Amino acid sequence: MTTPESKALPVASEAGPGQTRPVRDLADVAVMIGGQGGDGTLTVSDLLGRYFRAKGLYVYTSRNVLSRIRGGHADASVRGSREPIAAMKPSVELLVAFDKEAVDVGRPELTDDGAILFDSSVFTVDLPNAYGFPFATLAGGQLGAPIYKNTAAYGAISVMMGFDAPSTRAVIESRFQRRSPEALEKNLRALEIGRKAATEWGGANAIHRWQVLEGDAKDLVLTTGNQAVALGFVVGGGRFFAGYPITPATEIMEYLMRYLPAFHGVVRQAEDELAAINMVIGAAYAGVRAMTSTSGPGLSLMTEGIGHAGAAELPIVVADCQRVGPSTGEPTRHEQSDLVHLANLGHGEFPRFIFAPGTMDDCFFLTVDALNLAEKWRAPVILLLDQALCQNTVSAPRFTLDKVHVERPNLLSAEEIARLPAYKAYLHGPEGRSAYIPPGTPGVHAQITGNEHDEWGHVSVNPVNRLKMMTKRMGKLEKARPELPPPRLYGDPAARIGLIGYGSTWGPIREAQERLAAGGVPTRFYQARTLFPVPTESLDPFLAGVDMAYVIEHNYTGQFARLIREHLPQHHAKLRSIIKVDGFSFRSPEIVAAVRGP
Amino acid sequence: MELAKAIPSTWCPGCGDFGVLAAVKKAAVEAKIPPHELVLVGGIGCSGGIHNFIEVNGLHALHGRLLPQAVGVKLANPGLTVVAAGGDGDGYAIGMGHFMHAFKKNASFLYIVMNNETYGLTKGQASPTSQIGYEGNVEHPFDAILTALSIPTPAFIARGFSGDPKAMVQILVEALQFNRSSRGYAFVEDLSPCVTYNDTYKLWREKVVDVAKLPGYDPTDRKAMFKLCLETMESGRIPIGVMHRPKAETAADVALELKLLPDRIGPAQSPIALDANRDAYAKLLTAVG
Repeated sequence: MTTPESKALPVASEAGPGQTRPVRDLADVAVMIGGQGGDGTLTVSDLLGRYFRAKGLYVYTSRNVLSRIRGGHADASVRGSREPIAAMKPSVELLVAFDKEAVDVGRPELTDDGAILFDSSVFTVDLPNAYGFPFATLAGGQLGAPIYKNTAAYGAISVMMGFDAPSTRAVIESRFQRRSPEALEKNLRALEIGRKAATEWGGANAIHRWQVLEGDAKDLVLTTGNQAVALGFVVGGGRFFAGYPITPATEIMEYLMRYLPAFHGVVRQAEDELAAINMVIGAAYAGVRAMTSTSGPGLSLMTEGIGHAGAAELPIVVADCQRVGPSTGEPTRHEQSDLVHLANLGHGEFPRFIFAPGTMDDCFFLTVDALNLAEKWRAPVILLLDQALCQNTVSAPRFTLDKVHVERPNLLSAEEIARLPAYKAYLHGPEGRSAYIPPGTPGVHAQITGNEHDEWGHVSVNPVNRLKMMTKRMGKLEKARPELPPPRLYGDPAARIGLIGYGSTWGPIREAQERLAAGGVPTRFYQARTLFPVPTESLDPFLAGVDMAYVIEHNYTGQFARLIREHLPQHHAKLRSIIKVDGFSFRSPEIVAAVRGP
Repeated sequence: MELAKAIPSTWCPGCGDFGVLAAVKKAAVEAKIPPHELVLVGGIGCSGGIHNFIEVNGLHALHGRLLPQAVGVKLANPGLTVVAAGGDGDGYAIGMGHFMHAFKKNASFLYIVMNNETYGLTKGQASPTSQIGYEGNVEHPFDAILTALSIPTPAFIARGFSGDPKAMVQILVEALQFNRSSRGYAFVEDLSPCVTYNDTYKLWREKVVDVAKLPGYDPTDRKAMFKLCLETMESGRIPIGVMHRPKAETAADVALELKLLPDRIGPAQSPIALDANRDAYAKLLTAVG
């Protein structure tokens, strides 16, 4: 992955009145659109994403919204690149502002030679690189509704960015064809209003012009981590989901409400997270692959149920879409601060596995892995996601079934059941796990409990039995270790500087590696995909091979670094933390700067 | 095949819960439910151990969470007969949110609350149904039947008394048949005295009154039954019997599992092997934007 610099030549101040401005080629472009919630910033972002995609570019979009339905500042950013990307560009070429606040918020994001396009209907910006058009007034006057200002703005952008007219129009058609013919017609007219305005720009400064270069990306989907997890759940054999609406996890439930009924699956919106996790436990008991998804506050409530699943040895999957915590925190903002809680989650001790997908591919396949391993080891598996991974859209290879495996080694066939001399739901087998026969199987019944129990599932406080059961349950952590998702390693295998990260930091870290390498600083990147049990078997050799390793994560105390120190104290001195807790994702220059030092 | 056996009960001799255990066994036999199809979801507390004392499938839930676990079992495999059973603390205190929503959900399973008006297992603290004055209780006792009647859903609602085991068997048989014909949710409270901390046998024997014998009894008329129960209580008596036996269902009254799974094939019956789904999965993945 590379991030080619734009072939920028002149800067804004060099173009005076009456002058034309050279057209600059862009192989990697970003646009930020800001306004009040309800202004349609997401619409503009979506239209641009569709155009970039149609032109063979990789696309990444992020949004910055407040936890309210309308009003308040909202912005969206969209990036198109000829190279694969999984992060927002460090700075944007164009800021589109529907109100004054958007200018204040967005200006720091602009490249040195960037431009501002603003709606001059209601405010003005007095800057040499700012171009005002009365989009809302024009749309209101000619189309009867000011909201068409967003499509008009897209039209102006298309001129400034050198979009070809037929593809620009095709994007409008693809977006609005499913609405009414009137909506399509008005949006096409709004597009022309914007194109005309920009083409006929007669301001004192010549308008910025770029030429967005085409790419050759093909057969990609534009998706989110939440969608990829939902799809992975279906193909991994998931058939029961219960959840409670919570940002940024809700879309997993919404996708499954669409997908699962076709497979005789059930999705329920529960009365609270306590009910959601317990419904999932009930379904898992019935032998059905079951999952819930939540975020911080819901995770706190589900802690009780996850511990129960650990004790009762019932296979459940919990997707934790992390947001800013603690308490209600910042519902719409990004963080990775649940790891230590999850590693220690619950009263008492029980095994749990924590997987951390970093890409769309990971979201899809690790969900399948989570279902397989939860069932095989009869233990809770947590998919640790984060807001950026869950909700930002990114170009990804189409999901395929080639590498999907549905394995059920812990369930017995009818023939095996018929040959059993006895069925003990908590049998001490040589493999450290007990086969499971779900209720409803003719001729069989069993007892399942979260209390300490004997092999039959009867409540027991016998001290010999207690030790045996604890040893069996906790032993799963080591026995399953060889089957857990391995890390991915990137960069120069001989580099003496290590980078360690998980989740959505994958994108910014990969870009930072490229930038560092270009500047003569080779690095190796360990993308952790299993976080717990701490993957010492791969982290130990990785750390042994570097002089220092930066653990890059979105929390205040360096949580993964803390876990690594606890489990690999011999590497204590090599570890450094690069942290960010302002609610936004890393941009690659921040990582580059932290690694390079002052 | 050797299977988990019923273990000796942990209840005190004379405990009201024995009446429920005996009634559940008899009702299961009368309703001809094969043991492998019957799931008993137990709560936490003395009564919550009931699944250990009978040879069927047992799921011992968390305190207060037996209802969502029971719903999960039923929706995952609608072919199972699911009975949730726990105490008044479990159901009306820590589990109160789920208590209300179980009516709203209307999945076909039976919930039995063994109400002894005390926390027996923790040695006699006041419970949500304790009378004012019991162990210093100054809060008003909660009445589950009035609450149940006030939620307009097509649930079967009844109250039994461990001192009248014959009537209790009858109630449970009707409730299980209601569930097994997919009519929806059934809620049965049993007055189950705690002989150690709140021995109310004598008191309750004097106070219980079979609502079916009262003038104006009509279990299809929710409003009339609410009034009848309330007036009975105001006269110092405790109403028992079938409080709500809904009329033939309307479309909106259909049990949850049938709304979600109209062809009665549930998640547990859905094949998950890749080969059984390859075409449908490919179609799903191709449609991704």
